[in-house]
Amino acid sequence: VIRTRAQLESSVEDGVMEELPSMTVSQRDQFLVLNDVFRIYSDFDASDIATQIFTCCSRVEIQRDKQLDYLMNGLRHLGPSFSSLDANRPWICYWILHSIALLGESVDDELENNTIDFLGRCQGPDGGYGGGPGQLAHLATSYAAVNTLVTLGGDKALSSINRCFLRRMKDPDGGFRVHDMGEMDVRACYLAISIASILNILDDELTRGLGDYILSCQTYEGGIGGEPGSEAHAGNTYCGLATMALITEVDRLNLDSLMNWIVHQQGVERGFQGRTNKLVDGCYTFWQPLVQLNLVALFEDCRRVQPVFDSLNLQRYVILCSMVPEGGFRDKPGKPRDFYHTCYCLSGLSVAQHAWSKDKDTPPLNSDILGSYANHLEHVHLLHNVVMDRYNKAIEFFHREA
Amino acid sequence: MHGRPRKAYKPEEEAASAAKAAKLRALQSQFMSNHHNKIYTKEAVDLSTKLLEINPEAYTAWNYRKLAVEDKLSRIESDPDLIKTILDEELRVVESALSQNFKSYGAWHHRKWVLSKGHSSVGNELQLLNKFQKLDTRNFHAWNYRRFVVELTKRSEQDELKYTDDMIGSDFSNYSAWHNRSVLLSSLLARKADGFLPNKKIPDEYKLVQNAIFTDEDDQSGWFYHLWLLDQTVNVETPLLTSSWPSHGSRISLYAGCSNGSFSKLTTFGSESGYFPLVLNFDQAVGGVSSSTVTIDTELKGNEDLVWEPVSKKNSHVSCVWVARLKYISSEPCFGKEYKVKVKIGNSPGIVSSRGCNFSASYEFVFTAHVHDTVEESSQEGIVSWTDGFDIWDAESKDLNALTTLDRSNAQMDSKWRQEAIAEEIDLFRELPDSKIGKLTLARLLMAKAMISDDAVKGVHYNEILELYKDLMALDSSHYQYYKDVHSVALLRKVTSSTEDLSGHLFRCRNMNNSVCLRLNNLSLSRIASVEKLLFVQMLDLSHNELHSTEGLGGMQLLSCLNLSHNRIRSFSALDSLRHLKQLRVLDVSHNHIGEHSVDTTRYLCSSPLFNSEWTQDEVGRQMPTLVTKYWDAYFVLRDLNLKQLDITGNVIAGDVFSSFVLRVVPKLVWLDGKKLEI
Repeated sequence: VIRTRAQLESSVEDGVMEELPSMTVSQRDQFLVLNDVFRIYSDFDASDIATQIFTCCSRVEIQRDKQLDYLMNGLRHLGPSFSSLDANRPWICYWILHSIALLGESVDDELENNTIDFLGRCQGPDGGYGGGPGQLAHLATSYAAVNTLVTLGGDKALSSINRCFLRRMKDPDGGFRVHDMGEMDVRACYLAISIASILNILDDELTRGLGDYILSCQTYEGGIGGEPGSEAHAGNTYCGLATMALITEVDRLNLDSLMNWIVHQQGVERGFQGRTNKLVDGCYTFWQPLVQLNLVALFEDCRRVQPVFDSLNLQRYVILCSMVPEGGFRDKPGKPRDFYHTCYCLSGLSVAQHAWSKDKDTPPLNSDILGSYANHLEHVHLLHNVVMDRYNKAIEFFHREA
Repeated sequence: MHGRPRKAYKPEEEAASAAKAAKLRALQSQFMSNHHNKIYTKEAVDLSTKLLEINPEAYTAWNYRKLAVEDKLSRIESDPDLIKTILDEELRVVESALSQNFKSYGAWHHRKWVLSKGHSSVGNELQLLNKFQKLDTRNFHAWNYRRFVVELTKRSEQDELKYTDDMIGSDFSNYSAWHNRSVLLSSLLARKADGFLPNKKIPDEYKLVQNAIFTDEDDQSGWFYHLWLLDQTVNVETPLLTSSWPSHGSRISLYAGCSNGSFSKLTTFGSESGYFPLVLNFDQAVGGVSSSTVTIDTELKGNEDLVWEPVSKKNSHVSCVWVARLKYISSEPCFGKEYKVKVKIGNSPGIVSSRGCNFSASYEFVFTAHVHDTVEESSQEGIVSWTDGFDIWDAESKDLNALTTLDRSNAQMDSKWRQEAIAEEIDLFRELPDSKIGKLTLARLLMAKAMISDDAVKGVHYNEILELYKDLMALDSSHYQYYKDVHSVALLRKVTSSTEDLSGHLFRCRNMNNSVCLRLNNLSLSRIASVEKLLFVQMLDLSHNELHSTEGLGGMQLLSCLNLSHNRIRSFSALDSLRHLKQLRVLDVSHNHIGEHSVDTTRYLCSSPLFNSEWTQDEVGRQMPTLVTKYWDAYFVLRDLNLKQLDITGNVIAGDVFSSFVLRVVPKLVWLDGKKLEI
């Protein structure tokens, strides 16, 4: 049995790969990922100081220009391999535009107007956004569309949103369905409440029975599953916690066991896994620490103020293992890049960089950021995952509208 | 959309895939037109099949098919064969979509929808699932669907348990199987299905999980299942009453007038309002405590319709601690008399835990209240000093015994197997000395043992637990804060575990008429615990610790003097729980970090109308909106307190502006930062 990094490395050298078939499938997968990850780490650690200083300019650099090229290209033209995302086109807008915003950049007027027009065509006659023009309104694509428009900002973008729709998705059981006759789960609850909160239309009718539903999805592990009876899952834990925070019922959750679950989800690679005993995946860089930071930042009166994750090593995992040198981010070494992982890896990096910031107006210290200060990303709102100042402007707008 | 492999394309493949995309676009637009024109012909429906087989994520097409099925069903008279044919076609489409992408939410949901109609045979579902679950043993859609099918077909939970046996047997790393096992066993144990008694089954489960853990101690699955087992061994689902103030059999003395922590006896209480708190502490958060679920039998007048309040945040209707205020001074002369108060809990149902379990059995306790006509001499206008003049408390242990007697002992029915199971696990885990998770589990096991064993041996366990957590803090520095917190919990359990331990922390305050003070200072505590054993405390010194907040202190309803100086409190929000302390008169929060950085916690909440404009409606808020906006967190806490003495020096927030603000918000304040205020 391989327990430590040293044992692992020596076993790789000894060529004990033949032993692998006797391991269970997930152990074998875990072993192979560890193998890749630690090889990258040890290459990096082994290079002498001069190389490290040199590589600081390349290996640990976010490469803004390349990231922007990749993202801009994606916005203008999506390859045919994206046809399976046809029902998710507002998501592509969100992943790309939010990534651009995290890098502190904006798009030109033409692209902005095209995006607003396109999303306008995805909006249903009774509000809500579908995956593309003519498609049924869906909470997930509505969330993506609203967050995209908030990210773009400005009266034209914000006033294009029809604020009805959410009420129809409310189930008498307290939760939300993702669309007419669609499935009900914790994800749907978060999407609905996040939208309602940004648009300033959260009320008792939307929140009735919701806390009970979320509570019934928290498992003994401490995390939150997708529906009652399901095992805990990072994405759903984020959704459930953020929902409870937005409806101010968070103290009903068992926060002690939640914390216990979270501290056990950061793997030896220092990335995060999504479920108990699963492989690490770059996108959980966002979900997992976020859950922690929500606990921390929202509830000063809860006792823990220090983040309990290893923020620098997390940045190391994302930059060395998830970042693709040509631009974009991926799940783990050996996987191709995509916009989804780019969006959540960048969001996660931002969260890790700002984890120790004293307040929202204080930029992170040099020592909180892996690599040069050029890696510094914009601060995100932990409950909605939009860049903070765009969020503030949207809130101002929708309070004026009310 | 997540987790699917997406290949990089070569040029020739690119061309082929471009053609495919063009074809898909054509399909899509044709489908949309059918959908919007409500065309449900065979041809049109077949087109949606094609679309879904290529792209199962096209949820609009799944909905279109539901409408098409409803349409067809409405046209045929109830011919079971025809209905079955129509629905079987749907199942076929789902199956083929799932083989394209078995993480498609829409496809799984469509299948549930079809089966819920009740006309199709469900016999094949488990076979289909077995096929999918072999390909991806952790697919949570499949596991969710499996639970759905089991419920629909009323398949026995025992059979399902066997299925998890097989799955775990072939791959013990499969946490999904372990998880489902915990779900099934919880249900079987709860309804006491034949042979499923905790004292029989839980020990077997420990053996099963030991195998997994000792085969590979780096594999998380077993550890998490072990955590569940420990939970089952120690915790009882039904909520229990853990303690109360006044406690069963105690005799309390009630005086008219202020209690400034200035009573020499632990059982003495006074209040200018003429009310004393009756506190109930449960082992978990419950709702539904009211004058109908808790009845009071007493001759004390004016307590017919008691109002029970949860000690929790706004909008929350559940709490571990509930309090009612009983009147002991009424217009009728009642001084110098003794009154028996009988409290019955849970006679009528209604007390329910937040997990939905009912309060176990009705419970009754009695105490005696002696109402005095004299106002005990008190130093209420004098300043309370924490710096010196503390004498060791000359233990009148009997007095203390009555206070800390727990009412829980009678509730643990069959603790023998629990103790044995835990003892066995402890022996086993002592053999895994170097692993972090092994140490953590050992510490938890020891904590569990301490909870259910005799007082005499507790101290030993706690010392071992504290050592283990210290080791973990050194070994695993990235989770330091987590271990620090559990270390604090263990330390406070140790301190409150016996009369001897507790009395070592009790002092008499010479300058304050020898009133009793609990001193838990200088213990590097980072959080508060064991409050249920400290309900009697009126004067508490928590100075020189590492506390970030006062969470938990809200339960100590008798607290009138509290010292929190030299801790790590960063804002007034962290003192929120003090709002529940109606008796609190003296508060020292000097030398903390309040105001060092203005973490604006409302920035997340102000978008919610639930929180809007609360302060614009009240008097002070209208008179000085700028200061209230600037110090909103202090405002929310201070306006609910009745402080006579406040110490705030040594915080960034302290200064002339803040002082003037405090004077407006706390008009009854007499001492601020050691100086008497001129009134």
